[in-house]
Amino acid sequence: MTDSLFRGRLFGPGIPGVGIAAEAAWELTGGVRITVPDAEHRSQYAAHPTLTGGGFNAEGLRISWQDGEANWVFMVDAGEEQVRCKALAPPLVCGRLDGITQAQNRLERRFKTGGALLVFIMLLPLLLIALFLVNRGSIAAWVVQRIPVAHEARLGDLVLAQTRLQMKLVENGPDVAAIRTIGSKLTAGSVHRYRWFVAERPDVNAFAAPGGVVVVFRGLLNAVGSPEELAGVLAHEVAHGELRHSLQGMVKSLGLRAAVSIAFGDISDTVFTDAATRLTELRFSRDAEREADANGLQRLVAARISPEGMVRFYERLASEKRASPPALLSTHPASGERLEWLRRETERLSGPWQPLLVDLGKNKH
Amino acid sequence: MAMDVIDYEIFGSEMQFVEVELDPGEAAIGEAGVMMYMQDGIQMDTVFGDGSQQSSGFMGKLLGAGKRLLTGESLFTTVFHNEGSGKRRVAFAAPYPGKIVPVQLTDIGGTLICQKDSFLCAAKGVSLGIAFQKKIGTGLFGGEGFIMQKLDGDGMVFIHAGGTLRELTLAPGETLRVDTGCVVAFQPSVDFDIQFVGKIKSAIFGGEGLFFATLSGPGKVWLQSLPLSRLANRIVMSAPAAGGRSTDQGSLLGAGVLGGILGSSND
Repeated sequence: MTDSLFRGRLFGPGIPGVGIAAEAAWELTGGVRITVPDAEHRSQYAAHPTLTGGGFNAEGLRISWQDGEANWVFMVDAGEEQVRCKALAPPLVCGRLDGITQAQNRLERRFKTGGALLVFIMLLPLLLIALFLVNRGSIAAWVVQRIPVAHEARLGDLVLAQTRLQMKLVENGPDVAAIRTIGSKLTAGSVHRYRWFVAERPDVNAFAAPGGVVVVFRGLLNAVGSPEELAGVLAHEVAHGELRHSLQGMVKSLGLRAAVSIAFGDISDTVFTDAATRLTELRFSRDAEREADANGLQRLVAARISPEGMVRFYERLASEKRASPPALLSTHPASGERLEWLRRETERLSGPWQPLLVDLGKNKH
Repeated sequence: MAMDVIDYEIFGSEMQFVEVELDPGEAAIGEAGVMMYMQDGIQMDTVFGDGSQQSSGFMGKLLGAGKRLLTGESLFTTVFHNEGSGKRRVAFAAPYPGKIVPVQLTDIGGTLICQKDSFLCAAKGVSLGIAFQKKIGTGLFGGEGFIMQKLDGDGMVFIHAGGTLRELTLAPGETLRVDTGCVVAFQPSVDFDIQFVGKIKSAIFGGEGLFFATLSGPGKVWLQSLPLSRLANRIVMSAPAAGGRSTDQGSLLGAGVLGGILGSSND
């Protein structure tokens, strides 16, 4: 076989339907001369063949011509032989061959684009979830900003109702009055109508629900040494409420579960009913705690209450050796870093402070 | 490539199996799970991939196996060696009613494009590859999907398809319109495309679907009369467990006749 030949398959009258292997060479005029290696069949010459892409995926090069009534085709398969064939072609047919190559490339490109699109569509839900996870904080903040105060209050009622089922809440009495006195100083100018409660539970804990509901546990009342210490805790909790941290947490977890259930096609009511119950057990992020500390300090300063109490209370809780740490610390970990920051901030602030003349009740006993 | 020459015999008419005779040292590869019986002296060996390349490295084998997964076959193929001293026979059975077609790859130029899942067995050395249908329209509406199987080599292969198989040779320029799903295999020189049925009325009410598959010559094509999915549809439709009716069971009492008479009106 010489260098000017390229191999392919010849189809035509008098040749088996599956074609026979043959070799071909270009003429300078654009004609093709085909030699058949086996002696039974004649060699063929096509003076002006038609060139098209053909075969599976139009990958092959189809050189076809008519000889009287008969149709002949010389098929050059994709791959090495076709590359050779295109390279050997005379300038006269190069334009046509380039057109075929371009059409073949176009088909390939379109197929790849389609495939990529398909993969993209299949991965889209996962991508969306990933995107959502990354932007969870800012999406939640955006949504939370748009929740009207009235809704927040209604959510607070919901939480309150849930809490009542779990523990006994005291709404009146000297303790609540004392808390209300301190609290109203801290919440001056708030859009919420604040409601203060004492829960008859021994845990050292307190929480703020959305819409101005603040619950202080009996254990905390017993643990504080002075009204200023109580004010410190209240300021922190009020700050959580005012900054809508619990709402943010709710929107985040609700949104995540909604996104997951939409992605996996399981939308059930439990997603929404669970959310309210979880509000009380929410843990805030480290950033949220820092924010609440800062905001709480501002509230104390604005109310002219000494911020020393806040620091002292946390220090005391942290230093006390107990079998199990108080609940307040498990949700508000008094890390060294956080205490350090509080101390530093407090030192920067200077009085004069108005002493809180509040009777915490327990002194009577 | 040194392919093994295989002598074979096909048994049965509608539910066939092929018995392959192996000379000492020869081997055949079979789709996992299609072996029916084998004589003493034949060693069965399961290989990862298609067994055509003995030393292609781990990644090559993994790639080959992945391709096999795409075409709907198992990760492993089974190689049947004749380790005995005389001729030995091994048989491969078709998994559903239909015909087994032997194709000598050298006769058709070394490559056969076929429906995925239609491969039954082959001489060792034939490579089982994958051929993507790159025309998007044909992939979507041609009835064979985007993934087809490509058998390369110069040995004998046996493919299998449902119903009766028709082998046709298309002259250059000759075009055949085929119901989608009926194309089993074709030579790579054949153009596989789709064509709209022509009239909206036929598309909606004609029952042939929106598109025909078209096969344009030159080259040889193999068509099946009954794609497995069509057979499966009919069986499920008439299975009582799936809500089908057993109208022609011939019971005089109850559902048979009565249901048949009543049921015929809401067909």
